[in-house]
Formats: sequence, structure tokens, C-alpha cells
Amino acid sequence: MKESEKIVSSVQIEEKKRAKEKIQLFLISAASVIVFLGIWEAAVRLSWVNSQFVCSPSEAFMAFVDKLTQPNPDGAVLGVHIWESLKLALIGYVAAAVIGVPLGLLLGYYHTFDKLVNPIFEIIRPIPPIAWIPLSVIWLGIGTTAKCFIIFLAAFVPCVINSYTGVKLTNSVLIDVAKTCGASRWKIFITVCTPSAMPLAFTGIRVALGNAWSTLVAAEMLSATAGLGYMIQQGRALGRSDIIIVGMLTIGVIGAVLTAVLNKLENRVIRWRAK
Amino acid sequence: MERRKLKDICLTCISLIALVVLWVIVSNSKPDFFPTPQATWERFLKMAETPISKTTIIGHILISLKRVLTALVLAVASGIGIGLIMGWSKKMNAVLGPILTALRPIPPIAWIPLVILWFGVGEFSKVLLVFIGAFFPVVLNTATGVSMVDPMYLNVGRVYNANTFQMLCHVVMPAALPAIMAGVKIALSSGWMVVVAAEMIASKSGLGFLITRGNESYDVALVLCGMILIGLVGAILSAVFTLMERWLCPWMEKKNG
Amino acid sequence: MSVDGKEKRVKLTLKNISKSFYARKEIFEAVNNISIDVYENEFLVILGPGQCGKSVLLNIISGLEKPTAGEVKFPSNDEKKVGFVFQKTAVFPWKTVMQNVEFSQELKGVNKARRREQAQYLIELVGLKGFENSYPRQLSGGMKQRVGIARAYCSDPDILLMDEPFGALDAQTRYQMEEEVLRIWEKEKRTVIFVTNNIEEAVYLGDRIILLSECPASVKEIYTLEALQRPRDYVDTEFLRMRETIEKNMDLAL
Repeated sequence: MKESEKIVSSVQIEEKKRAKEKIQLFLISAASVIVFLGIWEAAVRLSWVNSQFVCSPSEAFMAFVDKLTQPNPDGAVLGVHIWESLKLALIGYVAAAVIGVPLGLLLGYYHTFDKLVNPIFEIIRPIPPIAWIPLSVIWLGIGTTAKCFIIFLAAFVPCVINSYTGVKLTNSVLIDVAKTCGASRWKIFITVCTPSAMPLAFTGIRVALGNAWSTLVAAEMLSATAGLGYMIQQGRALGRSDIIIVGMLTIGVIGAVLTAVLNKLENRVIRWRAK
Repeated sequence: MERRKLKDICLTCISLIALVVLWVIVSNSKPDFFPTPQATWERFLKMAETPISKTTIIGHILISLKRVLTALVLAVASGIGIGLIMGWSKKMNAVLGPILTALRPIPPIAWIPLVILWFGVGEFSKVLLVFIGAFFPVVLNTATGVSMVDPMYLNVGRVYNANTFQMLCHVVMPAALPAIMAGVKIALSSGWMVVVAAEMIASKSGLGFLITRGNESYDVALVLCGMILIGLVGAILSAVFTLMERWLCPWMEKKNG
Repeated sequence: MSVDGKEKRVKLTLKNISKSFYARKEIFEAVNNISIDVYENEFLVILGPGQCGKSVLLNIISGLEKPTAGEVKFPSNDEKKVGFVFQKTAVFPWKTVMQNVEFSQELKGVNKARRREQAQYLIELVGLKGFENSYPRQLSGGMKQRVGIARAYCSDPDILLMDEPFGALDAQTRYQMEEEVLRIWEKEKRTVIFVTNNIEEAVYLGDRIILLSECPASVKEIYTLEALQRPRDYVDTEFLRMRETIEKNMDLAL
């Protein structure tokens, strides 16, 4: 009996150690962030760096609060910029996903279609979406349509490629199972290939989101009258580092939030996948 | 089998011909919007002879390449180093993780205004921007790769009393190498995109500049030439990378597609 | 070095080994109070159902894990030298057959010519001559496990630990590898501790079989198989009788 008590207590000690280590790691993380912000703040306050080039974290926070209600100096409050960007990004992005994923799936499944479309795709693919900006501005003007088109292009390519690969990598045994059950070609596509391509398709959709968001910023920096990219570009023109930093952080946070939402959606759709 | 191949080749030809025909029709109906294939080719020949903004076309390509490769080498070297430390040591991961996680979602292009504000529009700014674009994928993939090494392989090292250095060289690094290479591949394409963006926004040389120059001087053929060259060089870079990967990881199965 | 002699030298002693850990906020007992003596150059089989603590026990012997209670003692010399053949194939995919086999010697800093010579001998012993420079992906499952065996031998171990090495192989290859492992063991005698969940394999290979209960693993029975002549025959009456005895006594895995 004594022996077993000793075992229990020694396991408990081990577990406590592990819990302690977890807390320790968390404290290290917190300390690291605080030190980072502290050094940054001190560097600006004590003029180690030129305060024209970079604002302190506290100034950035003040600028953020200010920007919520104050349209100057870049013409709009933060909410308007966010709304402008988000609107463009979501229109282009959703269109790309809705068209790109089914197209990729079909390309992967139908050989003739694949050989017909693939060459064109291979030619367009290596050109970064940003390089399309001038051409699309010439075609479509500097309005919403041009930007949506560029974002569409940026998000379209990864959606298609990943869905395509997903179908190509379908386990052929599963297809044979469906065949022996007498499924038609279309039925096999819907019930076997599409679900099994879903994990990869979602990878594409996730990559597309990152592409779309960063292309949007570029498009807004090159030609826009509002939006987060426009805001940071104006910040530079005016030499206002606080506006730039608020804009950058907003862009980052929204990007992260969108990714998180997408991950939630992915887990909902692909419930059968093992973690 | 033979007939099928023939059919494939035919289909590919049909699609390419269709593309060219479409190009001809569109460009002939609206030549201001879209140059004809002929005009594009002529513009290309002219570009090969007369320098644009005092730099030859080869010069522009080399400048873009130099910016990308310099930044890429720096990003890969530092990214693998830091990623290795983060993946290996939980404490270092706790120190660096939060800051990297906070900075990562900011697209490299969003750094352009800040970097230009700090360092002007010179060479350093462009290299720094590409570095930012390439650094994060390398660090993250390396850290993930290192922390996900199959514990079974680590046990082999431990059974034979490998020290930390041997563990890293013989087990952890090679096991994480495929993940690292995937990160470098992302870094390469992201770096190429950033250099084009940076050159478009603020530069007097490089392939991105060609596009802006064409745009500003209403020379649509030049814009198209620039885009084609950017695509071509990007494709070559990625092909070279694939060869290098095969050479570096001879044990890996060849991937299809 | 006589094995046949009645007085067998103890190579390794497990004394009251227990192992527990936390899993989902509950204490989970994997191994419960196991004491075994392992003799020099014997082929000891540890047999147990499904997920009982067999592998944990082997990890404790090799030093990969610490027991919660009890100790592992090496009476002969203090320095433990174990070779480990892992479950599935823990052969490094990024090293050639040669580099895999010489791994332990390379870590020790043995000069290249010497370790190559030794590795070459072992590669030939396990029947992989001609594959020295192949990568594992070019090899079949059985061949990979041969590399694993050669690698374990190359560390010049006192004790060889084998953790269900043939579990992932098809039946045909499995029989073949069982024969091989005996052939190699006859030629290069070592103390072997072989873990398996397959009764037939256990009876074919073992000098002794230690039958473990289901979780938490404890010693249920020890069978001595010296009466069974080697090479053994799978359909021999004695063999089948032994098999049946053990089968009746073994806990069912879920």
C-alpha cells in the first residue's frame, strides 16, 4: 500500500512541475512583450531614435483612439477606411472562392477540360497580382471594379490550384468503391472527389485570403481615395508615423481575425477530419 | 496510350491558339486598351535595343534579381536560425513567439510606407522590404518543422546518446528540412511579389519600374512586356528552386504536379 | 561464455518497476510493479495484449523514460550499452543504408574507415549487400527493418531491445524476418529483449516468455521454452501445445 501511495505522490509532483512550467512560459511571454514595448517607448521618449520616424506605443494608442472619430489628416475616420477595404476585399475574395474552387475541382476531374484550360492558367499564374494593377486601371478605371478585379485575381489562383490538386490526390480505391456501387461519373465527382479534396481546397482558400488582403493594401496604396492602404500611404506623405503604425496594426489585426473566422468555418465544414 | 497523348497535345494547342486569337480580336478592337501581339513583340525588340531610364532590359532584370536574392539569402539564413531556436527551446519560443505572431499578419507591402519613411527610397529599403516578406514564412515553417519532428526519430538519437549539436545536425535539421524548404519556397514567391510592388511604388529601376513607367507614359505595350518578363523570371526562379530542393533532399520522393 | 551452463549470469535486473502518468486529469497506470531478471545472451520475449505497457517498459530499460518507482540495474558494469530496434521503422529517411547503420558510431566519433568496415560487415550480415547507398524509400518494409537491426547491432550493445519490430510487416515477410533475426542472433550472440503481441512469434523466438497482463501491465506468468528445440517448427505438437497454453492465459485486448 505504501508503495502505491509513493507512486501517486510522485506522479502528482511531476504534474505540478508541468503546470508550473506552463505558467512560467506564459510569464516569459508576457515579460517579453512588456520589455519590447518598454524599450520602444523609452527609445522614443529618451530620443534614442528620431521621433519623426517612429512614434511611441502610447502615441500610437492615442492616435488610434483619435482616428476613431477624427477624419483628419487623411480624410476619413478609421471605421470608414476599414469598411472601404473590407468591402473590396470581401467582394473580390468571395467571388474568387465561389468561382475558383468549383473550377479547380472540375479541372482536376475532367481530363479534357484540364488540358484545355491548364496551359492558359500556367501562363497567367507566375505573374504576381500586383503587376496587374496598372493594366486593370487602364481597362477598368480607378474605381471599385478595378480593385475588385485585382483582388479576385490574387485569390483566384490559389483556390483553383489547391482544389485541382485535391481532386488529383483522391485515393483511387475510394473511387473504385463508388464505381462498384454503380455510381455515375458525376455522382463520383460529387460524393467522393469533392469531399476528399476539401482539406486542400481550404488550404487554398486560406492562402487566397492572405493574398487578397495584401494585394488590396497594394492596390489602395497605388490608387485609391480611401481604405487602409490609402491611409498608410497618406501617413507617409504627411510624415505621420503614428498614422502609418495604426494603419499597419489595423491591417494586421483584421487579417488575423479573417483568418480565425475562416479556420472556424473550415472546422465546421470538415468535421470528419482528425485533428 | 499514343492516341491519348496526341489528343492532349491537340487540346493544349487549341487552348493556346484560342488565347492568341482572343488576344488579336480584343487588341484590334481596342488597341489603346490592349496592344496587339505584334505591337507587343515590336515593343519588346525595341526595349532590348534602347535602354529605359538609362538601364538596359537585362540591367533591369539583374537589378530586380539582385534585390530579391540578397534579401532572400539573409532571410533564409536568419529565419532558419531563429526558427530552429524557437522550435527547439520552449523558452525561446515564449520569448519570441508573441512578437512574431503580432507582426506576422501584417502584409509585407504594408511595411512600404514605414520603411520608406525610415530609410528613404534607396536600395536598402527595397532589400529590407523583401527581407520582411521572406523572413516570416521561413521562421514559421522552420519552427513548426522542428517542433513537429517525429519523437521516434528523437528517441533514436537519445538511445545512442547524441549531444544537442549532433541531435540538431543528424536528426532535427534533416527531419525538418522538407518543411523548411516549403517555407523557403513561399518566401521566394512572396519576395518576388514584394520586390515588384516596391519597384512599382518607389523606384527608378527594376522590372516593377518598367510597368509603372509604361503606365505613366501611356505605353500599354511596355506594361504588358513588363508583366510577361516578371512572370517569366518568377517561373524560372521557382524552377531553379525545385532543382535545388531535389539536390538538397535526395532522399525525398519526387512529387508529381 | 557458455549459455548452456546451468548457472546463468544475470545481465540486467528490473526491480519493482512501476510507471504512471497523468492523462486527462487522471492518474493512468501503465506498468505495475514488474520485477524481472534478464540473463546473459538469452532471447527474452515480453508478450502482452494490445496497448498494455510493453513499450513503456522497454523505454524504461533503454533509459528513454524514467520509472515512477523501482530501478533498472546492470550488475556487470555500470555503463549501459543498449541497441534499440524501434516499432515501425525509425530508420532515418534522409540517410543512406550505410549512414543509418553507422549512426551510433559516427556520434561516438569513431573514424570513418573503421566504422565503415564494421557497418559493412553488419549490412552483409543482415543480407543487404549492394544496398549500402540506397535511401530507405527505395527499400521494402522488411528491408527497412533489417537496416534497423543492423543499426542496433552497430552500436555494439550488451542488450538489444526490439519493440514489435515486425508488427507492420505482412505475414510472409514476418515469418522470414523471424528466421533472420534468429540467424543473426545465433551468429552474433547478444542479450535480446523482444516485445510482441503475437503469441506464435513469441513461441518461435523466445528462450523465455514473460506474459504480461493487460493495463496496468504486471507479470502474469513466465514460460521457459528451453525444451523446445531450435530451429522450431510452427506446426510441431509441442509448439502448438505451448501456444495454446499461453493463448488461454492471455488477456484479451480491446
